[in-house]
Amino acid sequence: MNAGLIAGAVLVGIVVLAALVSFVWTPHDPTLVDAAGKLREPGGGYLLGADKFGRDTFSQLMVGARTTLYVGIVAVGIAALIGTPLGMIAGMTPRGWLSELIMRVNDLVFAFPALLLAVMLGAVYGAGTLTAMIAIGVATVPAFARVARAATMQVMVTDYILAARAAGRRRVAIAVRHVLPNIGSMLIVQASVSFAIAILAEAALSFLGFGTRPPIPSWGRMLQESQELLFSTPRLALWPGLAIALAVLGFNLLGDGLRDYLDPKLRRIRAER
Amino acid sequence: MILYLLKRLAVLIASTAVAGVAVFAFMALLPGDPAEIALGVNATPDAVAALRERFGTDRPPPAQFADWFGGLVHGDFGTSYVTSSPIGPQIGDRLGVTAVLVLGGMVIALLIAVPAGTFAAVHHRNPLGVAISAASQVGIAIPAFLAGILLVFVFAVKAQALPSGGYVPIAEDPQAWLLGLLLPWLSLGLVQGAVLTRYVRSAVLDVMREDYLRTARAKGRGRMGALWRHGLRNASVPVVTVLGLQLATLLIGAVVVERVFVIPGLGDLLLNGVAGRDLLLVQGVVMVLVVAVLLINFVVDVTYAVLDPRLR
Amino acid sequence: MRRIGTWIAVGGLLLATAACGGGGGGSKGGSSGGQAASLAVGFVAEPANLDFTSTEGAAIPQALLVNVYEGLVKLDQDGKIQPLLAEKWDVSADRKTYTFTLRKGVTFTNGAPFTADDVIFSLDRVKKDWQLKIKAQLDVVDRVEKEDESTVIVTLKHPSNGFLYSMATRLGAMFSRTGVADLANKPVGTGPYQLGSWKRGDSILLGANPKYWGAKPKLPAVTLKYFKDATAMNNALLTSGIDVISAVQAPESLQQFADPNRFQTVEGTTNGEVVLSLNNGRPPFNDKKVRQAVRYAIDHKALLDTAWAGRGQLIGSMVPPTDPWYEDRTGDYPFNVAKAKELLGGKTYTVKMRIPNLPYAVASAQVVKSQLAQVGITADIEPLEFPARWLDVVFKQGDYDMSIINHVEPRDMGIFADKSYYFRYDNPEYGKLLAAADQGTEQEQIDDLKKAAKLLSDDAAADWLFLFPNLIVAKKGVTGLPKNGIAEAFDFTALAKQ
Repeated sequence: MNAGLIAGAVLVGIVVLAALVSFVWTPHDPTLVDAAGKLREPGGGYLLGADKFGRDTFSQLMVGARTTLYVGIVAVGIAALIGTPLGMIAGMTPRGWLSELIMRVNDLVFAFPALLLAVMLGAVYGAGTLTAMIAIGVATVPAFARVARAATMQVMVTDYILAARAAGRRRVAIAVRHVLPNIGSMLIVQASVSFAIAILAEAALSFLGFGTRPPIPSWGRMLQESQELLFSTPRLALWPGLAIALAVLGFNLLGDGLRDYLDPKLRRIRAER
Repeated sequence: MILYLLKRLAVLIASTAVAGVAVFAFMALLPGDPAEIALGVNATPDAVAALRERFGTDRPPPAQFADWFGGLVHGDFGTSYVTSSPIGPQIGDRLGVTAVLVLGGMVIALLIAVPAGTFAAVHHRNPLGVAISAASQVGIAIPAFLAGILLVFVFAVKAQALPSGGYVPIAEDPQAWLLGLLLPWLSLGLVQGAVLTRYVRSAVLDVMREDYLRTARAKGRGRMGALWRHGLRNASVPVVTVLGLQLATLLIGAVVVERVFVIPGLGDLLLNGVAGRDLLLVQGVVMVLVVAVLLINFVVDVTYAVLDPRLR
Repeated sequence: MRRIGTWIAVGGLLLATAACGGGGGGSKGGSSGGQAASLAVGFVAEPANLDFTSTEGAAIPQALLVNVYEGLVKLDQDGKIQPLLAEKWDVSADRKTYTFTLRKGVTFTNGAPFTADDVIFSLDRVKKDWQLKIKAQLDVVDRVEKEDESTVIVTLKHPSNGFLYSMATRLGAMFSRTGVADLANKPVGTGPYQLGSWKRGDSILLGANPKYWGAKPKLPAVTLKYFKDATAMNNALLTSGIDVISAVQAPESLQQFADPNRFQTVEGTTNGEVVLSLNNGRPPFNDKKVRQAVRYAIDHKALLDTAWAGRGQLIGSMVPPTDPWYEDRTGDYPFNVAKAKELLGGKTYTVKMRIPNLPYAVASAQVVKSQLAQVGITADIEPLEFPARWLDVVFKQGDYDMSIINHVEPRDMGIFADKSYYFRYDNPEYGKLLAAADQGTEQEQIDDLKKAAKLLSDDAAADWLFLFPNLIVAKKGVTGLPKNGIAEAFDFTALAKQ
């Protein structure tokens, strides 16, 4: 166990906890407009004060954590579910035409970054959390495919796989029984790092108005809405900004720490990816 | 090497064609008829039909695609339905601005990352090296637009030292051009520099563990000397990859910085096009961005092959 | 541009910046005072093209009317009609015939002289080629004839109070018969300014028209600089990138401009009614009771205070305070949650609130949603890109239940008389009142329009959230800023810098 891993786990744990608690309890209704409480100073049940609509910042941050995790889980889920099998196929048949095709398509998808896809999807279907998640997810597929492929190629030359192949096991069985468990740790590491990137992407999209719709709290939009008050009430920008930074830091540290913890030798593969 | 190059070139061309089809098909999904949009909300059916004929949008999609893609090959992006001005020059202008923005940002990123990353690797056990690693972790976690907002707040609004935004063409006023770009470059460069520092550090660390470096050091070369002579080439392979990835995502990623600093770049043009339902413009910008990324990938792959012949 | 700053530029960024703002061509004057060379004015929405005869939206006339294009008449600051390209006009006793005497020696910027034929051409074009809904305002024109090169006679189908007023808007802009080939990119008018350059995505430069018939404008050049982001516009003024913010988009930020030694703030009214549109044509808002419930459920004062920093005015109907028939109608539906619930009869509704992605709409929508939730109406907010997508989905197709938009056109009560308009409001009584007002005497007009405004309010045809404020922030020393924004144009001819 290293310090980074612990720090990462704690930060991520806080975000998850805040999100889970927000389902059953927040200090105040995070979307309730209260003119009397406009720009309320911190204190008196409002731990971090309120925004210009009189909405409790702390409650908004808690529900914002939910939005953040929601986007991250769905986006990373899409990427992992599509990218992993493709990468494994490519890794198990490294010289075949299928592998070549997969990796070329992969390169092509890579040419559509999350922001571009989100703007395009938003233009067609209307911007919102769903389009943002799908866009970020699809744009993350190549990262998963590449990691899965690289790890699979390493696993494929190990003795037990060679033995399994010699024993005439079917490929699907080998993939599920032997390859997947062995590349799992790499995928978890990649998921953690992708999660961090997804959080940043959601924030950028919300900033541009292509992310989560108002009034659902989102850290990115809180930051965007706080801009006009940066001069007079900087804390409104401080808290969501800090939340984003700490969450991203947490997932990155978690990813790095997990990598070192699970398999120090795997460092190289990732670095060369 | 030549065979490899030809193969990669073929892949590049095929990818571009497939991307063209994908982008065109996607845009066809956009709700709304360009002719109706161009004519506003109370156009007569006759006027719409006439305009459709002028735009050529009354023809079957494959014919439209052939026209559009054929034009692209010749550098003709068509004429916007909304602004009735040619699209190519607009994209050209904006691409130039974004390129300057992104490249400047990457230069700053490199200027930060190479020394910082190398230092952090060489001194990975001493407190300063650890501090650099930690700082880079924090840097990665800050969204580029937040960095931009903070930089504007500190250097432009509070200190009144630099302009808060706007873009002055270099031909018009080189000094204003430079001053106007400093903060945008920094916003991109600091964040990307943090990302890059990690990769430089990890690449240098890996190289330092290699046998040839140990050998060189055993022969009496200094640590930095050995690294300089033998390690740099090998360490640069993963760094070049990451650099390529960053460049590729930044072309569109810079849009947030363009928004904060009111810079008329390509991302800004794209958002305008989307807001104004300027279909052909959006199509053109997306295509340019995609092809740019494909080209960058191509260059990275080839550079890779030059740096490390085993990868061919 | 050479500057003294250059000499000490090394390490002396501080010094150089006083003059490095602007970006756009003409604004290099910076803050250093002295010779008033030019002025940079910040605007929100950049026009997609420069043709206001085919493209909706306020951005184009705001930039070009009065400045580049002139009409026969124009509106002054008090809303009175004044001569411009017409030296004078006579109205016949039956109020159906207008005889305009044109100013002589006026030329367009393409060199063509301005004559009676151009007037006929321009008014014909409105009928034939214009693509805007508001062109219906000139349907009252029966025929346009020339008596001689500088006399034009316009005959109306029936007497109309609105005709001359419409002639002062973009509908009355005079075009050259040889100057309409590329209106989208090359405007040709008779005004004091002409298009200098247009950097798309950045700025439009207007330069003085050297052949202008009237008094030269005080500023030889004006840069219109466009910002999509309210904060970026604020920052530009704070750092001398621009001299004027034409319309503050982030009113909470006004505190930044509190220093009277550097800035001045002008606050007045506009013609812009921020309307909470309700789709009268489909459930649930085809039911008057549900609409009335909405009006009772909204605490307008709280909405204005939170969404727009209390800047603006509560109105209650479709009339701005600068119109002669204005009456304060905010008392018609005072905030009353119990009354709203009673009208809804215990039922709950879920409605689509499709709004443009503009600051005031996004801010107001969140307040409206929160307040409506208190009475059992769930409004799902869906921001659509403005202008294109909002215009298409809401304005054109009418596919919405609720929307929020600032109706900026002057004297736009008529839009509720058109049942195909996206409000889908259909009350023949209202149309009759408007028609009578247009044809009646001045006093009849005022009386009838007051009745019409009351009818709209009583019917709860929509809800009026607030009147958009004319909120201008400028550097100290800029003069000629309009107190009230009641014209379509931002008149640059009056601007000066000390």
